Amino acid sequence: MAVLEADQVTKTFDEGREAVPVLKGVSLQLEPGEIVTLEGPSGSGKTTLLSILGAILTPTGGRVVVNGHEIVASRANDLAAIRRQAIGFVFQQFNLFPALSALENVEYALNIKGMNGGGARREAEAALDAVGLAERKHFLPRDLSGGQKQRVAVARALAGRPPILLADEPTANLDSQVGLQILEMFRDLAKRDARALLIVTHDPKVRGIADRVLRIRDGLLLNGNE
Amino acid sequence: MVDLALKTLLHDRLRFAITVAGVAFAVLLVFVQVGLFLGLLDNATVTIKHIDAELWVTSRNTPNVDFAHVFPESRVDRVRSIPGVARADNLIAWFFTYQLPSGAQEGSILYALKDFKSWNLPWDVMEGNLEDLRRGPYLFLDGSATKRMGPFAVGEYRELNGRRVQIIGRTRGALSFTTTPITFMDYDLAQSIQSQSLRGQTTYILVKLAPGADLETVRAEIRRRLPYNDVFTRDEWASRSRNYWVVSTGLGLNMGLTVFLGCLVGVVVVAQTLYTSTMEHLKEFGTVKAIGGGNLDIYRILAKQASAAALVGFVFGALGAVLLRPAMAGVDLKLIVPPVLGAAVFVGTFALCLGAAMISFRKVAAIDPALVFRT
Repeated sequence: MAVLEADQVTKTFDEGREAVPVLKGVSLQLEPGEIVTLEGPSGSGKTTLLSILGAILTPTGGRVVVNGHEIVASRANDLAAIRRQAIGFVFQQFNLFPALSALENVEYALNIKGMNGGGARREAEAALDAVGLAERKHFLPRDLSGGQKQRVAVARALAGRPPILLADEPTANLDSQVGLQILEMFRDLAKRDARALLIVTHDPKVRGIADRVLRIRDGLLLNGNE
Repeated sequence: MVDLALKTLLHDRLRFAITVAGVAFAVLLVFVQVGLFLGLLDNATVTIKHIDAELWVTSRNTPNVDFAHVFPESRVDRVRSIPGVARADNLIAWFFTYQLPSGAQEGSILYALKDFKSWNLPWDVMEGNLEDLRRGPYLFLDGSATKRMGPFAVGEYRELNGRRVQIIGRTRGALSFTTTPITFMDYDLAQSIQSQSLRGQTTYILVKLAPGADLETVRAEIRRRLPYNDVFTRDEWASRSRNYWVVSTGLGLNMGLTVFLGCLVGVVVVAQTLYTSTMEHLKEFGTVKAIGGGNLDIYRILAKQASAAALVGFVFGALGAVLLRPAMAGVDLKLIVPPVLGAAVFVGTFALCLGAAMISFRKVAAIDPALVFRT
């Protein structure tokens, strides 16, 4: 059964008097444990689709079901709850909190999900251990390399065991070797716990880790998915 | 639980220090302004507070205790004959001028009674025996006179209206709203020194009630017998004297404006620093939303930061006020901070800081979590 499902999703932005259609009827499904990449040129609608699948934006039309929750016309509070329960994000810019240590960055995400105290601390430590950063758990982001920051971001996304992981250009700010190592680690961790992983990327090397590759252009998924 | 609010606040220590300084400045300003004003008002009624009289008979429409008008001293006999009056005495409170050894002149408020001890005046004697005031041209002078008249010692002479009077005692804490020192002298001596104005005249009649006497009944009878005088209870008279300074002189308005400006400075500093901090951390707030946090989580962060600034700023401001007290006392200014003022400033500081954070609340409520995808 699909853990993430989009059916004829459209999204139109109003820019002044003009309505700009960004997504024109996108349908896809992600199964648990499936690794999928979404490729496409700039302006093709990748990030908008990722935002809708991640319950950050609502679609203009169509239907999106995230882990059993339909998000059509959801209120902002409902969307936040869906994000808390079902989704782990990894961002291109890492988006770590600069005042928090690696461990605290992961633990805070768990706090937001409602987990507190020693349980949250232990799970955050386990997540950092899983990405190989146990030794640097007390380092602030400014004292970590780009690859290490992205490992913390991956640990944060994994914490709380969300069934869906969404990554936006996770290798864009890393050198190719480090980026590939992190992606392989990310893939292994996702597969281990049967989580669906969707990676938006420009980087053709990323498709090497994917079970399936989606291509988007001008707001439409292209046929011939690999 | 990870405290993102405090950790972020302390991560930028300089900004936090500026915020705290703004709050502390506002708190200190309010404490000093209001405290000094309360200290001056306390001076304004210090004699009323200490004199052991339940009723004060004054000339009609006397505005405050320092600005007395005369009336015939014989009226005291009419008061003494009223049932329920245990004791009634004339009191002169009059502005005198000293001719100082340097040739300069300096004013003093003179309190003159025949029996000081019966009325608990003066209430804090440092040197001298009050009984001796009856024995000749003697006076007690408050220590605060040193600031205006220079050092003086018991045994020295001073000139009052051309009369040499010997200082035989020193008191403490007897000064007026305007910090004019108070001189204590025998009633008859005062009348003879200022005979043109005071011969056969007094400025107040102090009344002590007999045990069990009804104050209002006695007051009504005094009013009936002295229709051209006013009769006040101790509290009414103190309140009237204070109100004169607060309302009639514009000092109350002045203090209110200063307090308002102090608060405004605090609010502007806190609002400005919190808003700037919010703008700089928009992406982090966007991340909080993206990982599942709601507006409430972000409001909590901002409220906690504002509260921390309020608490630390209050502590530093209050500490500053405490440290200023001895310095103020050195120039005979009292800084009075009653618990209710401390509590009001504490609550007000939090309210103002949280109010300042409201501007940031509006900004973060509109944060689009999709901004986390923007580079």
